[in-house]
Amino acid sequence: MREAWAVLLILLLAGAVVFAHTTTTTEEYSRYNVGWNGTSNLAAEEVRDLRGLDPASTLLVLAPDRPFTAEEAGYLRAFLDAGGRVLIADEEGNANPLLADLGSTMRVRPGNLSSLDRGHTDPGLFIGYVVGNTTFFAGVETVLANRPAAVEGGEPLIETSILTWDDGDGDGRVSGDETFARRVVCAREGNLTVLGDPSLFVNAMLAENPTFIDNLQPVLIDATHSRTGTTNPIINTRVWIQQTPLAAAALAALAVLPVAWHFGRKRDD
Amino acid sequence: MNARASHAILAAAAVLVLLLLGAQATAPLLYTAENTATAAHADPATVQKKSPGNADTLVPLMDDLLGQTGTLALTIKLKDYESAESDLARYSELSRQFDRLVVTLDVSGTDIGEFQQNNRQNQEALTTLLNDTRRFEDLKRLEIEVQGDDGQRMAIAYEGEALRQKMRQGFSAYAERETATTRIAEHYDLNTTPYQASVEHFAEVVEAADDWREKTGGSTPPRSPLGIAVTPGEGRYADTLLIAGTYIGGTPGTPIEVYIDSRVAATVPLGDDRTYAYPYRVGRILAGPHLVYATAGAIFSEVATFEILPRNTTITLALAEVNRTAVACTGNLTTAEGRPVTGAPVLLRVDNATLVSTQTDQNGTYVAEFVLPAGEHTLRAEFHAAGYPLNAAESEAATVTIEGEGLSPLPLAVALAAAVGTGWYFRRRRQQPEESPAVEEEDEEDVTNEAVEQPQPVKIAGLPLREAATVLFRVLRARLGLPETKTPRDCALLAPAHAGFFERYEQIRYAGETPSEEELRAMEEEAVGGDEHA
Repeated sequence: MREAWAVLLILLLAGAVVFAHTTTTTEEYSRYNVGWNGTSNLAAEEVRDLRGLDPASTLLVLAPDRPFTAEEAGYLRAFLDAGGRVLIADEEGNANPLLADLGSTMRVRPGNLSSLDRGHTDPGLFIGYVVGNTTFFAGVETVLANRPAAVEGGEPLIETSILTWDDGDGDGRVSGDETFARRVVCAREGNLTVLGDPSLFVNAMLAENPTFIDNLQPVLIDATHSRTGTTNPIINTRVWIQQTPLAAAALAALAVLPVAWHFGRKRDD
Repeated sequence: MNARASHAILAAAAVLVLLLLGAQATAPLLYTAENTATAAHADPATVQKKSPGNADTLVPLMDDLLGQTGTLALTIKLKDYESAESDLARYSELSRQFDRLVVTLDVSGTDIGEFQQNNRQNQEALTTLLNDTRRFEDLKRLEIEVQGDDGQRMAIAYEGEALRQKMRQGFSAYAERETATTRIAEHYDLNTTPYQASVEHFAEVVEAADDWREKTGGSTPPRSPLGIAVTPGEGRYADTLLIAGTYIGGTPGTPIEVYIDSRVAATVPLGDDRTYAYPYRVGRILAGPHLVYATAGAIFSEVATFEILPRNTTITLALAEVNRTAVACTGNLTTAEGRPVTGAPVLLRVDNATLVSTQTDQNGTYVAEFVLPAGEHTLRAEFHAAGYPLNAAESEAATVTIEGEGLSPLPLAVALAAAVGTGWYFRRRRQQPEESPAVEEEDEEDVTNEAVEQPQPVKIAGLPLREAATVLFRVLRARLGLPETKTPRDCALLAPAHAGFFERYEQIRYAGETPSEEELRAMEEEAVGGDEHA
């Protein structure tokens, strides 16, 4: 009897460990990544259909890595026209085709921005100054940027100090033909805002810019084009079951059957 | 469940758990905050919080420096020398702060470094202008005092002309830097108005000197009997320039003072052939045009110029571990042609943050030894060429791994002693109750063992009645060969013949009842085997 309890306990422990490891990931920006570079702690609802979004909310397109179809761009335009706010956080320039489709002049210019105006040894972790008036940055004077990209066009919302350079050779110093210049890392055109730093939404950065994160609420994340998903098949299966009522019902039935069989057999005995 | 099967499942489950935990131990992403910075971002929690310096003061400081040129040039123009001295002191202090910041922030290779070079030259030029303007005023006063003494008047005219030429040359160089300085200043959104005003003030001061010369000597000033020339007219660091001339009418042996940029560089005697010569070895002097003149008593020569051109430099760095905590850095600072740069400051930048200063010796070699914390460190040697006609240089980065102090044996010894002490304490604590006469629960085992091993007459006399019953229970349990782990109830089940004894003892033990003397005697008899004899 005692051995049986020990076996059960260890199996439960093993099951918990297996569950923890198979239902998390280390993929950057993933909602299932509980580590520093995941977005599991970002309070947001994922959406996969861009039609009929609530205009009172903010749609966050986080580190997009898949193109938008003309139809999807049309839904976004309709959402913007209805008063919805779209925040595109991208540092690789993948959002530029979408920006063009939306008729925006803003563009993300990938680079390796570094600054002397910082409080960390890493030159890519530096201070950005809020220069524009927008609800996203209400009550915010400075933002801790994390290796952002520059944003061109639009009305500047966040600018770097003039002691900022694009560290092309990555040596952490101003060398070669690198020069100091003020850069814009966030700009807007109407309700469309482009932020050159999706890292602001990873778990490790949420506490650094809390007011900005709060100002975004309520947030919807575009789970179709953002890098917030995962390639982990176990997680994806779990998510599919959660989102498919028939599958959830089948699974519940599968769980109930052995119990029913067990009790039925006892009664027969 | 079959015991063997359950053990097998238990072992398999344990192995599974260990395997899963072991796999994570090698890649502890989920459990640790180890920094795994990517191209996109770094974990701020794992990056050291350390500012590279007061970067936010750099641009305001540049603004202050430009502002200070305007103030200083104005006070010189207004001949408010007391205020000018104070302004110059303030300007020098700001320049020192700026120089330190440029080195700390490691920006000497940028346009801010160029601004720094120009600022140094501007400071030098305004300092000279202040001194020359004051001397000019003295000459004006002396000229009135020596009216009628042609010899004195001529000497004043020579010096006045020398000063005028110096100021004119100084202004040319000052104005030349305006374009580059303004360009850099505008890039950093600095207010260039005071600086541009300083150029105008400087020009006005020089024009005032020109006016004075025209009033006193006309357009063709008297030629000084003390000649001067510099050959060659330009040179670089470690070159030798010959400053020489003739003093017509001078007495051999007359001391000739040679001034470079208004500072006495040397005093040489006039030769028998009435010539003098001073070989000037180019050392710590700014690159650019320089002024030189000589004096023989009250007689001033004209002003000659020479130009110092910059040279490139190279600096090497070699690291050697001194011991487990210290590293020795050594290297050579030379010009591109291999000439040693002597007595020059060298900075060693550790991990792009900490700076250690040292200096080259007469061979251009520097040595520094310092302690570093354990771990890998990247070092670089830098020469910032402040005040030298040399271009800055930095060595290749070199890395060193510091082992750090070995573990001190003291904590280990203390831990060992603590463990031994704890063991001794527990052992002693366990022994004490055995020696104690009190019949505690922990003593049951020992009492029983004694009963089994040495069947002795039971001594319960003098014991409280309930304790006496406990002793009798142990005696009977031992006599029947029942394990000590068995309770009175277990014993009653295992030895039904003595169930009455055990049940009564259960009531005494757990229900708190007290046996009577007679009961106790009956129990004693049963315990020692009296019932069997009966």
